[in-house]
Amino acid sequence: MRIRPFDFKAATSLADALNQLDQAGSNARVLAGGTDLVLNMKKKNILPSMLISLHPIKNLEYVEEKNEMIHIGALAKHADLAIHPILEKYVSILCQAVGLIGSWQVRNIGTIGGNLCNASPAADAVPPLLALDAAVVIATLHGEKTVPINSFFCGPGQTVMKPNEILKEILIKKPLKPSAGCYLKLRRRKAVDISLAGVAFQAESDPSGQRIEQVKIALGGVAPTAIRVPDAENCLVGLSIDDAFQKIPMCADKAANAAKPIDDVRATADYKRTIVNVFVQRCAQHVLTTLKNYRGQS
Amino acid sequence: MNQLPIHLVVNKEDYHLFVKPNRVLLDVLREDLELTGTKEGCGLGKCGACTVLLNGRPVHACLTLALQVDGCEITTIEGIGGEKMHPLQEAFVDKGAIQCGFCTPGMINTAKALLDENANPSEEEIKQAIAGNLCRCTGYNKIVDAIHSCGCQSKKKKGGIK
Ligand SMILES: Cc1cc2nc3c(=O)[nH]c(=O)nc-3n(C[C@H](O)[C@H](O)[C@H](O)COP(=O)(O)OP(=O)(O)OC[C@H]3O[C@@H](n4cnc5c(N)ncnc54)[C@H](O)[C@@H]3O)c2cc1C
Ligand code: FES
Ligand code: FES
Repeated sequence: MRIRPFDFKAATSLADALNQLDQAGSNARVLAGGTDLVLNMKKKNILPSMLISLHPIKNLEYVEEKNEMIHIGALAKHADLAIHPILEKYVSILCQAVGLIGSWQVRNIGTIGGNLCNASPAADAVPPLLALDAAVVIATLHGEKTVPINSFFCGPGQTVMKPNEILKEILIKKPLKPSAGCYLKLRRRKAVDISLAGVAFQAESDPSGQRIEQVKIALGGVAPTAIRVPDAENCLVGLSIDDAFQKIPMCADKAANAAKPIDDVRATADYKRTIVNVFVQRCAQHVLTTLKNYRGQS
Repeated sequence: MNQLPIHLVVNKEDYHLFVKPNRVLLDVLREDLELTGTKEGCGLGKCGACTVLLNGRPVHACLTLALQVDGCEITTIEGIGGEKMHPLQEAFVDKGAIQCGFCTPGMINTAKALLDENANPSEEEIKQAIAGNLCRCTGYNKIVDAIHSCGCQSKKKKGGIK
């Protein structure tokens, strides 16, 4: 499968990449791992005149703790994120999700920045980031801007980023109270398949582990972009953990009702809605049980 | 579309090449370096036949542009083992884990990376690691057996040294 000719430049730094991208015009693209971009160029879905490759930039692969925030460089690879001790400690839901992306081969070169910028409605990193109220930092020629993840996506394949901008990093606030999260995805093949539906469920209890203070549920693959489902979340907020268990079916119904899946070659809309219902229940069981066990330990 | 210079270390040998931007690593390995052990199945990242090790980690050579891995170390099946077969290759033969052999180079590369990272993987860990490598012949059990037997061997060896 041939790729149409294009020009190629390697960027030596983020600033260099921004300059080159700006000069190259709107038909240029940045290349991270290439697992989406090269595939799309092979399929002739995208025909860029030039690629600016970020591969020489080694200082955008970090995961760092700074005060209350966790910073993840856009070029961090899924395989590294899936087992990163800082992420496992604070936001294991993200490790779970990126660990399910594609195959080991894809995770070894695919980046979290590429997953977000590609803006697939089914991208696995997105629901956990929505459920964690993450933000992204976009580098422009005139400085950086921070955008909450819930206003980053505009539609399938579309983000608020301009063609001459580059995603620099992802910011996640560390949970300060007992918290737990769970990501489940449905796919036809056990590996190497995008999700038909993904459910991210993150909850926080009060310090004594008695009461649910925050619930955030995000769905992927069942709307033009990943969505939060506040009605479902509100079913559980403020309840004691034991009462929350009782309300799981109601919460799952509300989440399924808020989903707007479409029929496609992979599955019918009805099936996807049913799956959302089942996955929200399973996620909720898991998360509430984890929170309850913390209480047992403390 | 100009050819651009790259430096690759393939199976521990240095190569200085000029390649066009639209060529993937798989084509450069097979056509320019004549290392035809690496196979092209789907060309779309779905079958794992093209798996090579990039700085020790399995990746798809069919979706990786050659220019993107400038300066990197690549290991292909030709670089696994040497005069003698690698224990993994022996195990694949012994356990009947090779039928048509098309998946084998990619499978062995993935397994090699797994064992380098985790000397004695569980059956589940093996299945997870090779989930991106399709085999249309063996039914996988023999492949998992072969990798598993190597895990135990390297553990035994380590034990022996102690
Ligand atoms: C076989 C296979 C299976 C897959 N399975 C999954 C899956 O299960 N779940 C899933 O979510 N995805 C999956 N993917 C999609 C893909 O691997 C991921 O989305 C990956 O994270 C993309 O990252 P990348 O670094 O390869 O991006 P690239 O392909 O390099 O880039 C993707 C897009 O983002 C742009 N871009 C990349 N980085 C930046 C940046 N820093 N700033 C601005 N723009 C940028 C590029 O210009 C391009 O348009 C799969 C892909 C393949 C080939
Ligand atoms: S040929 Fe590369 S994954 Fe199939
Ligand atoms: S032996 Fe034929 S594909 Fe695996």
